[in-house]
Amino acid sequence: MKLTRREFSAGLAAGLAAPALMRSAWAQGATIKIGMCVPVTGPAAEQGLWAQNGAKLALAAVNKAGGVLGKQVELVIEDDQTTNPGIVLAFSKLAAQSDIVAFLGSIRSTQVQAMAPDVIKVGKPVMIGGTNPDLTHSGNPWLFRFRPNDNYSGRVIADYGVSTLGKKKWAIVHSTDAFGTAGGKALTEALTKLGAPPVLDQGYANQSQDFTPVVLAVKQSGADVLGTYFTFENDLGIFARQLRQLGVNIPWVGSPSVVAVSSTKLAGPALFGTYGVADFAEDSSDVAKSFGKAYRDAYKTAPDNQSAWPYDAITILSAAINKAGSTDPTKIRESILATQKFAGAEGEYNFDKNGDGLHGYNVVKNDKGKIVYDKHIDFND
Amino acid sequence: MDLILQLLFTGIGIGAVYALVALGFVLIFRATNVVNFAQGEFSMVAAYLMVVCVEFGLPYWLSFVIALAGMALLGVIFNLGVYYPLRHRTYLPVIIATIGASILLSNTVLAIYGPQPQVLQGWFDTPGIQLGPVYLDSQYLLIIGVTILLVLFNFWFFEKTLLGKKLQATSQDKEMASLLGISVSTMIMITFIYSAVLGGLAGILVAPVLFVSIQMGSTIALKAFAATIIGGFGDVAGAIVGGLALGVIETFGAAYISVPYKDGFAFLVLIAFLVFRPQGIFGERVAEKA
Repeated sequence: MKLTRREFSAGLAAGLAAPALMRSAWAQGATIKIGMCVPVTGPAAEQGLWAQNGAKLALAAVNKAGGVLGKQVELVIEDDQTTNPGIVLAFSKLAAQSDIVAFLGSIRSTQVQAMAPDVIKVGKPVMIGGTNPDLTHSGNPWLFRFRPNDNYSGRVIADYGVSTLGKKKWAIVHSTDAFGTAGGKALTEALTKLGAPPVLDQGYANQSQDFTPVVLAVKQSGADVLGTYFTFENDLGIFARQLRQLGVNIPWVGSPSVVAVSSTKLAGPALFGTYGVADFAEDSSDVAKSFGKAYRDAYKTAPDNQSAWPYDAITILSAAINKAGSTDPTKIRESILATQKFAGAEGEYNFDKNGDGLHGYNVVKNDKGKIVYDKHIDFND
Repeated sequence: MDLILQLLFTGIGIGAVYALVALGFVLIFRATNVVNFAQGEFSMVAAYLMVVCVEFGLPYWLSFVIALAGMALLGVIFNLGVYYPLRHRTYLPVIIATIGASILLSNTVLAIYGPQPQVLQGWFDTPGIQLGPVYLDSQYLLIIGVTILLVLFNFWFFEKTLLGKKLQATSQDKEMASLLGISVSTMIMITFIYSAVLGGLAGILVAPVLFVSIQMGSTIALKAFAATIIGGFGDVAGAIVGGLALGVIETFGAAYISVPYKDGFAFLVLIAFLVFRPQGIFGERVAEKA
């Protein structure tokens, strides 16, 4: 056989490249990679750390139990800077790594909204914690939510305030970002259905240094109960202190940030006696209790929803890939949607066709700085 | 009327914070002709120093002194590390260096102290006093008091003392000041120290109200920068008046027009000044030489 110069060169090149290619193929197949966009810097860096803690705790459990499809699972973290452009950049960096099989997105609706068009383009499952109902109701098949959406939080806040506390004159204060606007709208709708339309609907811009005009508007409205959707705990802390200083002491039922660990620490006594809907309440179930214990043992701090949803997301995603028997995005999607009656730290997961896993909330109370579980309200529709 | 008084108090309180940071901007601008974009980070660093000292168990007053001394040291390092090597260049490299320094400062604090926002107790045990229908937050009262004292101190220092006059001479004409035997680099060093201490003071005073976080400096600095332009860049009285005006305008705008667009009012005023009176309230019109 006569070898031409061209064939010789091609063979030589292939021979030289083969070890490198094989090594890269081996490296790609050694672990199952999950990408995570999370704030490492920016206003939510603290919460970002807790999200990483929750995800890593679940990851350790999954790997200890044999991993996924017989391989160990690896988390690839990218900083979303707590901004919309930041998460778009972080997601595109992760999406460029073709061996990442699925992703964890943000707990902030506005960030999920920003990355959503790219999620469709990439066509791989993304677990999210953002609670704006539209996120999973806008025809994006790749978003899966591991917290109850704001339709439920609005309904639970309204139901608890009206039926349990017996209050009908509501003032609503909400952030004007995607999360706050959707939450305020959901609460208004729920209250209107219960025959108690709000007397005040007051938006505010994030990162405000002063809430005096908002507090005075609440005071002047004559409301006897307050419903809130705050995005950042810093804002909530300033608002809570000014609210009490200016003499507003009406009952307050708020979105999860009211009972978050940072808010409780920052606002101190100003939040005593407030109620919050919480997707995570440590005393609400056995799984929540055991997650709480493991989290405390590992990180010496109290867990909250910031760490509970990534914990559930990694656990359920890993189980779904195992069940699908493949890392094919469509098969993983079908497997997640088929997840029913799965007991997670946040509650019982029953995924619907939109990708919503949870359908209710716990109501908890700030009892002199300690968050106490009160009741769980679930909806079937 | 009660509402107006309450809003006025809060507006002046938050305006005084802007004014304190704006003062730091102005002093450095006068001495060096550059805007120090790390001025907000000075506030943040001082607030963290204060938190560290208080957590260490030191008395509040001692923590305060140590934090301000730390800021003076930071002023020296900042001058030697950021301004001095670039002093013969145009203003642009220096401004970019200050932006770089601000990123370095905030990330250094993030790396050392972590992202958790911290609580710093106020100077007084009483959170505030109720004066008729108006609630006066004790920390805001302190901020307003300190601002008034600083206005008086600045007037005395720059107009009545030899050092103040030397600093003024340096800011007006460095070559002339040098010919008169004034050490220009020493004067600039003193300006940086004073500005860092002022920024730090603002941070420590505002920390009990806004909490201590990595972003606290940049949020205030943006408004303080706007206040400086409104007051007239380079004018001490302008910084104070600009800061107070901005605080009051945004508070009233939020209460009577729209809360979500609160920041918008501040920047609308800024744009209006840039268009109709670019030299600010107290600035003098500067004509370009032919």
